[in-house]
Amino acid sequence: MLIRILKNSFLKRPKSVLLVLLSITMGAAVATAFLGIAGEVSHKMALELRSYGANILLEPTALEGGGYLREDDLPKIKTVFWKYNITGFTPYLFGVADLAAAGRHERSVVAGTWFSKEVQVPGEESTEQGIKGMAPWWDLKGRWPEAADEAIVGAALARRLKLVQGSELAATVRGTVQRFRVCGVVTTGGFEEEQLFAPLVTVQQLLGQQGKISRVLVSALTVPMDDFGRKDPSTMTKDEYEKWYCTAYVTSVAKNVEEVMSGSRAKPIWQIASAEGALLTKLNAVMLLLTLLALGASATAVSTSLMASMAERSPEIALMKAMGADRFQISSIFLGEILIISVVGGLIGYLIGNQLAALISHTVFNSTIASPLWLIPMAVGSAFLVACAGSIAPLRRALLIEPVRVLKG
Amino acid sequence: MAVATIETSGLTRSYGEICALKPIDLSVPEGEWLSVMGHSGSGKSTLMNLVGGLDRPTAGALVVGGQDLSTLTEDGLARFRREYVGIIFQQHHLVPYLSALENVMLSQYFHSVPDEAEARHALERVGLGHRLKNRPGELSGGEQQRVCIARAIINSPKLLLGDEPTGNLDHKSTLMVMELLKELRAEERFTVVMVTHNEEVAAWGDRTIYLTDGVLVREERTRS
Ligand SMILES: Nc1ncnc2c1ncn2[C@@H]1O[C@H](COP(=O)(O)OP(=O)(O)OP(=O)(O)O)[C@@H](O)[C@H]1O
Ligand SMILES: [Mg+2]
Repeated sequence: MLIRILKNSFLKRPKSVLLVLLSITMGAAVATAFLGIAGEVSHKMALELRSYGANILLEPTALEGGGYLREDDLPKIKTVFWKYNITGFTPYLFGVADLAAAGRHERSVVAGTWFSKEVQVPGEESTEQGIKGMAPWWDLKGRWPEAADEAIVGAALARRLKLVQGSELAATVRGTVQRFRVCGVVTTGGFEEEQLFAPLVTVQQLLGQQGKISRVLVSALTVPMDDFGRKDPSTMTKDEYEKWYCTAYVTSVAKNVEEVMSGSRAKPIWQIASAEGALLTKLNAVMLLLTLLALGASATAVSTSLMASMAERSPEIALMKAMGADRFQISSIFLGEILIISVVGGLIGYLIGNQLAALISHTVFNSTIASPLWLIPMAVGSAFLVACAGSIAPLRRALLIEPVRVLKG
Repeated sequence: MAVATIETSGLTRSYGEICALKPIDLSVPEGEWLSVMGHSGSGKSTLMNLVGGLDRPTAGALVVGGQDLSTLTEDGLARFRREYVGIIFQQHHLVPYLSALENVMLSQYFHSVPDEAEARHALERVGLGHRLKNRPGELSGGEQQRVCIARAIINSPKLLLGDEPTGNLDHKSTLMVMELLKELRAEERFTVVMVTHNEEVAAWGDRTIYLTDGVLVREERTRS
């Protein structure tokens, strides 16, 4: 009978039913779209943030006595458990050299590094690693070094030595002389402006440290730290440790990398890591808030249109009450209607939201995404929540109708 | 001596300053057909609504079918209405989007479970066996009123209330409806309280009471 009532009520009042359906559908669509792209947005944002600098620093364990890391170990970084989260790494070897150019002299830091080096790991696609990919904020006048005797110099150093693109200079370390051609001048706003950057091999020869490096900067996609992530791994149970290891906290990724670089100690660069975590947490909060706002707005719309249809239906409700329908029976008719409308609205909303998410991710991120299937129950669920929230006031009003007033004889 | 179905003493209903029903003492024995007359605004509907559990008295005692209505909760009154009372209004209040049959079944639904065969039978009894699938808008006034009667009696009420059920009908339809009610009462033996403006309609009852400004001024037995 309930089904008969609902069916006829729907067929006879298509306009007001459609209005409610529309409000619910919109809410579900927006919720689906937001939640659908939320993951995408976080991921893209995290990638974007990765360009603001490395978040893990690898140093030799024995800092005193000039400890070094081995260049040979570097490709192993692309083989660790979290290898797909590691977006880049750059090795450095530092030394001090006497620089001489056009009659000027200065003792200065010389850094050997990778600018853009192809790293090949068996079974993996080859990747380009080095400063070029990891420090997009470096403002380079000129070009990146290609030949072994090419170098870029920091802007401050270049000013003092009167170096420009094309200048030549000589670096001397304990009698070994290496001549460099300046192919670029770099402005970074940091200590790099005082240094000379040259290909790693060349600097290793100059310093007599073949195959050695003094630090590695690693850039990794990580999840924001939470209370669990901040626990000390050495105090964890086996299960806890496993969970910690399998969560991409900056600390667990650091641990990961440390394991493959012999004699190394990995430290998160907290100023980057925690700022990033905070930003991503906020971003997620904003997405969630927007979703809730959209749902709230659609609940309001549902409430308004139900109120309107309630006014139109008050004789019917009064009649049902006069016939002896109690509050439960009246409510079940209306909640039944709402349930059906919200299931339908949720499904339609999912389909629309899906398209919307695809459109947004295409226009904003230029990528395609497939909304996960769990969004279907989510969409229907949120449609139902919206519908319930929206029907509280109208239902209260329906229950307050006094049959005597409406059915005046 | 028959048991009183309706027993009021000092029954009063006022709307703020306006006293729609001055204290009324009334006793209606089981099975009686009571007609209520009075000019417009005299409190007839007010009395009927109180007796039918649609409204609550401001003061006084009101016992219907052994139940003190003033002690019942909202849902308790609803239960009382669906189990004990059948109501017919002047305007044929039917759910517009349901067919005649479904309107009758709605009453069964609220009461217990819908039984299509029984509902069809009730409509056949009021002479509408051929209009089961029609919606109220497709029925004449008299036909609609007969659907209302079928709906009112479907759950075998002990008390049938009518608030000018023939008020909108022509002479012929009125006779038809009254005849029908008389027949049904002979079978079902329910008590009837019927508000009317029409002396002729009132004469179908066993007794008529007259209200003036909320006061019961006169009552008279009809010659059988
Ligand atoms: N909700 C209300 N608020 C205020 N006054 C009301 C209300 N309902 C009824 N009244 C007043 O109570 C009095 C009795 O009304 P009632 O409806 O019982 O009259 P009636 O005898 O049924 O009249 P009619 O023959 O016109 O239907 C009238 O004066 C009416 O104005
Ligand atoms: Mg009246």
